[in-house]
Amino acid sequence: MTTTLEQAKTAAIPQGGGLHRRLNMATAMIGGIVFASLFWYLAHHFLDATSRTYSDEVAGSLTIGWIVGFWLGIGAFVAPLRWLIGRDNTRADDLYLAGQGQGTSRYWKFTTDHKVVGVQYIIMTMVLLGAGGILAMAIRTELIVPGNHFVNQQVYNGFIAVHGMLMILALIVAVAGPWGNFVVPIMCGARDMAFPRLNALSLWTLVGAAGLLLTTLAVGSLTMGWVVLEPIADQAGVGMDFFAMAIIVFTVSTTVAGVNTICTILTMRTKGMTLARLPIFVWGAIIAAALGLYAFPYFSLVEAQTLMDRTFSTSFFVANAGGTGWLQANLFWLMGHPEVYVILLPAVAALFEIAAVMSRKPVFSYRSAVAGMTGLAGLSILVWAHHMFTTGWAPTLGGPFMLTTELISIPTGLFFLVLIGTLWRGNIWMKLPTIWMFGFIANFIIAGVTGIYLSDIPLDDQLHGTMFVTAHFHYVFVGSVLFGAVSALAFWYPKVTGRFLNEFMGRISFWLTFIGVQVTFLAMFASGLRGMPRRYSSYAFIFEHTNLMTTIGAYIIMAGMLVLLGAVITSWNKGEPAGPNPWHANSLEWMVPTPVPLENFEVLPVITEDPYNYGEELVRS
Amino acid sequence: MSIDTHSELDAHGAHDGGHHEPPEVVDGRQRMGVWLFIGGDMIGLGALLFTYLYLRGVNSGGHWMSMWGYTGHPYSYYYNILDVKGGSIPNPKLIHVGTLSAGLNWLVTVLTVVSAGIIWAAERGLRATKNAKSYSTLAAASTVVTVVAIVFTVIQLRHIPQIFSAHNDSLTMAYTAYDSAMMAIVGSTLIHLIVLAFLGLGLTIRSARGAINGTKWYQARLVRFFWVWVAVASVIISAVTTTINTIH
Repeated sequence: MTTTLEQAKTAAIPQGGGLHRRLNMATAMIGGIVFASLFWYLAHHFLDATSRTYSDEVAGSLTIGWIVGFWLGIGAFVAPLRWLIGRDNTRADDLYLAGQGQGTSRYWKFTTDHKVVGVQYIIMTMVLLGAGGILAMAIRTELIVPGNHFVNQQVYNGFIAVHGMLMILALIVAVAGPWGNFVVPIMCGARDMAFPRLNALSLWTLVGAAGLLLTTLAVGSLTMGWVVLEPIADQAGVGMDFFAMAIIVFTVSTTVAGVNTICTILTMRTKGMTLARLPIFVWGAIIAAALGLYAFPYFSLVEAQTLMDRTFSTSFFVANAGGTGWLQANLFWLMGHPEVYVILLPAVAALFEIAAVMSRKPVFSYRSAVAGMTGLAGLSILVWAHHMFTTGWAPTLGGPFMLTTELISIPTGLFFLVLIGTLWRGNIWMKLPTIWMFGFIANFIIAGVTGIYLSDIPLDDQLHGTMFVTAHFHYVFVGSVLFGAVSALAFWYPKVTGRFLNEFMGRISFWLTFIGVQVTFLAMFASGLRGMPRRYSSYAFIFEHTNLMTTIGAYIIMAGMLVLLGAVITSWNKGEPAGPNPWHANSLEWMVPTPVPLENFEVLPVITEDPYNYGEELVRS
Repeated sequence: MSIDTHSELDAHGAHDGGHHEPPEVVDGRQRMGVWLFIGGDMIGLGALLFTYLYLRGVNSGGHWMSMWGYTGHPYSYYYNILDVKGGSIPNPKLIHVGTLSAGLNWLVTVLTVVSAGIIWAAERGLRATKNAKSYSTLAAASTVVTVVAIVFTVIQLRHIPQIFSAHNDSLTMAYTAYDSAMMAIVGSTLIHLIVLAFLGLGLTIRSARGAINGTKWYQARLVRFFWVWVAVASVIISAVTTTINTIH
């Protein structure tokens, strides 16, 4: 059994490619560093050094230089410039860009093949989760006992901000990135994404943004939390400029990816692949992409305004010149709550898919599943102010926002109905993807129920800003989304590599992570209920025991994740061979060979029925 | 999933892939892509106008707009005067400001609308007469008009006045909320116009080199969609910012 990586070496490298033949991640890094230095030098020498905003202007210039140089170095500007002068790509150029015959080197280039981009997203997600996880461990180590001085308070603040944002970025792409790219086009019966070059652009733009975000730790002075609270962010050090620019660049990446996903699904489905026959994961991908397209312009704008306040002396958030912090809160949460579902929906949809395959039953109430995801997306844009109940903003709107927030329970309830209905009396195959799915179900119940508490204004008044809130959203993101993401990884891993993810290590990882999540976040709920505030680097002695438990739990989660990382790495080339359709599934990604050929299908298929008709077949053997 | 892998309905063989498909197929896909990008841009415009109207509505400390401000010198000029001369105010540059020039605002809008009109007429002409040369000429003309609009937009940006404002226990220069919102709006307009100029230049060169012609015109139409949207957005911006600005 060969892997996707090995097969690509057998084809000849095409003649085309032009400048792209010389460009890769190393040239991108060099380009970024050279241009960042150049822009820094120019800003340093030509901007007014007496200006109050001088250091921010220099930092802002440097970040622009980084991203311009990174794009230049990876080859992102080649296609626009070729378009400008009327020299379009040849077939050989396209094949070269698709990575034909280039072996593993194509994973470090501006490669357009959607499967390569999918694998790049897997790597990127693991890097982001790893970096965010290390910061989480540092935070928990600081909080292991009251008055600890593992890091100083300013560094701790930076850890909080960067940990939060890294994890959010990682989870936004954790399912939609790898599997939205690797399997969605094949599931639709397409040969690639609608815009292959934009696909590569979105991936490498994310890499550039991650570079900026990781650099913020070295620059420091991040006092504003991951939500970039104003007016604190206006007063933060130059690390804030890096942070804001990283987010702006990231929103470019997600916008491009969202447009690409929607176009692929709506315009590239093969004949007979009607909307009613779409695999349910494809529905999750398109709804999440559409929601992202709505939400991320707000994110981009609010960070741009923060940068403008800091570099141009505008006053969006400066009250004594007419600005207000409420503007930041509104714009941020107009993005912030839909973003939760941009993260959650692909994971939930992947679990619907996995539940159907692993229980040999159609998705229970397919239309309810689609309606639930659509309803959740629709409602999510009407709830943003529940994050601002205690800020004093528009108290008369509290009731309506409480109502819309509680209405979210209905589509969320549909998710449980669909998942449990699909599994009910099914011939459940208890393999790794299924086990992580059950973990999701257990954790998501806790996440959902505690969310209802926080949507009620009287309780929110008491719990807002406490560790209870932190525990709630960690049950959403770690307990639910991460479990869904790992389930999806275990499910589609054989299609990527031709091998199963190591079952034994995967189960050890599951139990460590599942137990770790309960220990960590149930103890955190207790801290919150007793009044412990979020984001503090120290605390009163009454919170000592619950914090110790939380830290121990966090270490257990980290151990579980390290075991999973070990499973991913060791299984890649040495795992048990899986064959092209190890789960006996019916959707198109399992009908093509493993490794999947460059353009997926020899002949485009014609679909005649939905993908969940398993008949009487039993999977156990 | 039941599939028929030997269908005669398949339009593309394995060796033609998705990489060189018929123009009408690519056109439909790219048209949707452009509309989606425009949709995202509409949300962005909505967020900008929300910022503008929200800051005006809140009017923190009555500082939405200042009737007096300072312009004509770089920031350091005032900063140095404050520092070196112990806080005296530079009287010669005190000017009445209030709202930004509505004339300049509408001039940029008119130029954008005119350039969109030219590009639309050029495309219609190309499809009717198949004359790529005249299309190229009109695309160039549209690009020139856009460049003129860019120049006026830069002038707008340079004339946004500043006020003295307390910041971290010292007096400094800052923009009022109105001027901040206008800077974001005008800056966004500038970015859009630069993109239009790039696209216009591309259409000019591509049509001159035969990449866009009487039979291959779908890219011209795609660019026209975006161009017209920018013109419409410009009208919306000018209408809102010149009719809803001061607080009485």
